[in-house]
This record gives sequence, structure tokens and C-alpha cells, in this order.
Amino acid sequence: MKHLSDQELMRIVQAGDFSPASEIYDRYSSRIYNFAYRFLKNSEAAEDATQEVFVKMLKHANQFHGDAKLSTWLFSITANWCRDYLRKSDNKAKEAEDVLVTLPAPAEYSPERTLEQRENAKRIQKALTALTPEQREAILLSRYQGLSYAEIAQISGCSEGAVKTRVFRAMETLKKALTGKERGGDRCLTAM
Amino acid sequence: MTHQHIERCATCGAEWAGYRETWQSLGDLPEVEVPAALKARFLASVGELDAPVVQFKRPAESRPHTRWLAQAAAAVIIAGGSYWIGHRAIPIQIAPSPATVNAPYSIAESRVLTASAISPDIEGRPDIQNVSFLDSNANNDDVGLSFDITSHVTVHGRATDKSMVRLMRYVLENEAHTPGRSRAIDWVKTTYSRPGNGNLEIADALATVLRNDSHEGVRIKAVETLNRMPGSVSSDTREALIQALKSDPNPAVRIKAVEALANLARSGATFDSATVDTLRQKAVQGDENVYVRVKAAEALSSIHP
Repeated sequence: MKHLSDQELMRIVQAGDFSPASEIYDRYSSRIYNFAYRFLKNSEAAEDATQEVFVKMLKHANQFHGDAKLSTWLFSITANWCRDYLRKSDNKAKEAEDVLVTLPAPAEYSPERTLEQRENAKRIQKALTALTPEQREAILLSRYQGLSYAEIAQISGCSEGAVKTRVFRAMETLKKALTGKERGGDRCLTAM
Repeated sequence: MTHQHIERCATCGAEWAGYRETWQSLGDLPEVEVPAALKARFLASVGELDAPVVQFKRPAESRPHTRWLAQAAAAVIIAGGSYWIGHRAIPIQIAPSPATVNAPYSIAESRVLTASAISPDIEGRPDIQNVSFLDSNANNDDVGLSFDITSHVTVHGRATDKSMVRLMRYVLENEAHTPGRSRAIDWVKTTYSRPGNGNLEIADALATVLRNDSHEGVRIKAVETLNRMPGSVSSDTREALIQALKSDPNPAVRIKAVEALANLARSGATFDSATVDTLRQKAVQGDENVYVRVKAAEALSSIHP
């Protein structure tokens, strides 16, 4: 089934045949899992999210329209799941307790470089934690999934303008946390 | 203009550099490995799911129990053929299972077949249910046909694959319910009117529908579709159009039939004298629909410029 497009695979699923499930999982599980993991900072919750997203994809396959991108639809389901998860007060306490389990560093990396990378990863994860969930969702979809503002707006259920604002606010917070640079006190007043 | 300003303005340049540095440093967050057990967990749950509501699903109806018994006793076979690598015929059997009308099918009962791997000969008259059609897209010419026999079967391949054509013909000629036939024709119209997809067998099946279907809406669709595939009209199919023009009780069918004949005439098809006579009669028939008469005359003028 590797030669079939996402839309073709989904049409088979929509016809009641779940045999493309494995292929679709292979194509998207890493992106879905990583998004959920970075959003929730909890590997157990990220696993549940990934599992449920793909099950929902099969159960509600007929809600998928062929003219949409499958990735956008899957991220919509994932983002909804993650928002619901965070809304439950019990789950908030679990945030940030998780330990990063990452892919092993390339063999050519020195131990110092590997250590530095791990420290960087921790700093970034911590900085992401400081964002509001809406800002985090926008920056994760934009920076790590390469989605357009229009796609993110569709996923987040807001306007493109709101997405731009969220990404900008997120970048301001991250800049401060990661580079130590705050927005300059001397504002440029030149009209651009 | 923004870039020019950033290059000139130290304050904005520094601000911009900070954002760029931040954006780049976010790339240091490594990918997290998906636990291998998660896939197995997901696939295990797939088997427990019911299939989604199938598009174009026909309403369930009660059927005599004896018919199911008879069907279970009969081997429903799409027989013959061979796989690509095989040199001797290996029948693709869709073996009967103790299915009941309302039993949900599971993934274990589903199978996906490639049209080029199965024989185009359909043995017997298998009772197919819940037919749905999977369209091709711009990137791929493959189409698919899904249906229930005693298991859920999806056959996919090129629209012009002989097995796909035979299956589609079978659906057109044997679909018992009007909405199902209507949807089948819609799909045929989209799929087989594309350049290079015209097919004599499909046209013949549409001609059979035109001759025999009791529902005028279905007959109208059949003629409309034939009109979209003028290069695939055999003499037998043309005869069906003539008969529809002569004697179909519904004027809309006669209008569509004469339009199709006029289109054929314009495309340079040669008509025998009997066809010309029928068009001539229609052109002057006082009690015929005016539009039919005009189109008949138009067809005649195309034959005799």
C-alpha cells in the first residue's frame, strides 16, 4: 500500500476496509507522537493520544474530506485530544515531570556535544512549558510540523491573524528564555 | 521593504537576529522515539472496531433465510486468473462464510485485491451488496470498487483493467436497487468519460440499462453517460439509442437519446438507412416533443451536410 496516496488509503478505510491502518500509522505516528509529547510533556499521555488519534481516524473516517490534507485532519484530532487532556485538572500536575527519552545521538557526536544537546533540549522543553497552551500549540505546529498559518488556524479553530499573534507572542517568550534577550527598550518608530 | 529596513536599522536588525537565533535554536529539540509497542497496541485495537458507515450504503433489507442458506451453499467465485508471477490458473475464490445480514464485518473478513491479479470472468451471479466506488485522483489513475459478498472485498486497479471493467459491468447490470444503479452510473460517467478510459463493454452495459431499466431517471443517466463516451458506442449500443428514441415512454429519455445520436453524427459516425429513417420520422412527427424533432433534424443535417 506504500504506493497509494493518503487520500486513496482513506477512501479504502471509508469503504469499511481497515487494512491501510498500518500504513497510515507508519506515515504519521512519529509526527503525532512528537507533537503530543512536546505539547503535554508526558510520554504516557502522548502514547494514549497517538493510540486514540488513529482509532478515531478509523472510526470517523467518513468525516475526512478527500480535498483536505490527512496530516491537517490528524493534527486537529490530536490537538483536540491534548486540549481536553490539559483541561482535566488532574493532568496539569503531571506536566513537566516526564523525562526526555530521545533518539540516541549520532555516533559521530562527542560526549560533550551530546551533553550540550541534552542541556539544550531541556532548556527548550522548559521554555515551551512557559507558553500558554494556545501559543505552544501554534509554535509546535509551525516550527516542528511545518504547517502553514492557514492550516494551524483550521486545526486550532481560530483565524489566521490569531495564529500569527500566538506565534509572535510565543517567539517573544522563547527569545527571552533561550537567548536572554528581551524586546529592546528603544523601539524603532520608523514606519516599514 | 521590510528587509531593507531591517538591514539599515540597528534596533530592528538586532531584534530580528534574536528571533532568528531563537527559531534556529528550537531545532535543537530532538525527535522523540515512538515506543515500538504502541503500534502493536493500536493494531490490536483495530480488530475490535466496527467499520465506519460505508458511503453509498444501501439500506438493509430483510431477505429470505433460505436464500442465505442457498448462497452459503454455493461457492461464490470470481474464478480463474492467476497472480502475476503464476503460470497456471489459480482461482481467486471468495469463499462463503456463515455471514448473516446484520453481522458486522471485521478486518479479518476484509480483503483487498488488485484488479490485474484476478480473472475478469465472474462465475455465476454472486449477490453483491453495499457497493461503493473509490475515485481516482490527479496523481493516480487507480480506481476501486468495494462490495460485500460473504466478506468485504475491495478491488482496485486501473479503470481500464479488464477485471475492473467486468466488475463494473456486473454492477451496472445486476444492482437490484434504483439508487445503487443511479450511483453506479454517476461513477461510470466520471470515470469512463475521461480521455483514454472509454470502453465498449461499459457502453454496452449502459445500453442494457437503457433498454431494461424501469426507472426513467436511471435511463436518462445511462443515455447521458453514453453521450459522454461517443468513441465507445458500438452498433449494438447505437441500436439501443435508436430504440429509446423510437419508443421510450419518457420524453426526457427520448431527448437525451436524440442528443446522443446527434452528437454521434457530428463526430462522423456512419448511420445505416434504418437509423436515418427513424431520425427523419422523428423530425416530422407532429405529436413528438419539439426539442426531439429539432435535434433529430440537427442529427440528419450532420449526416447529410
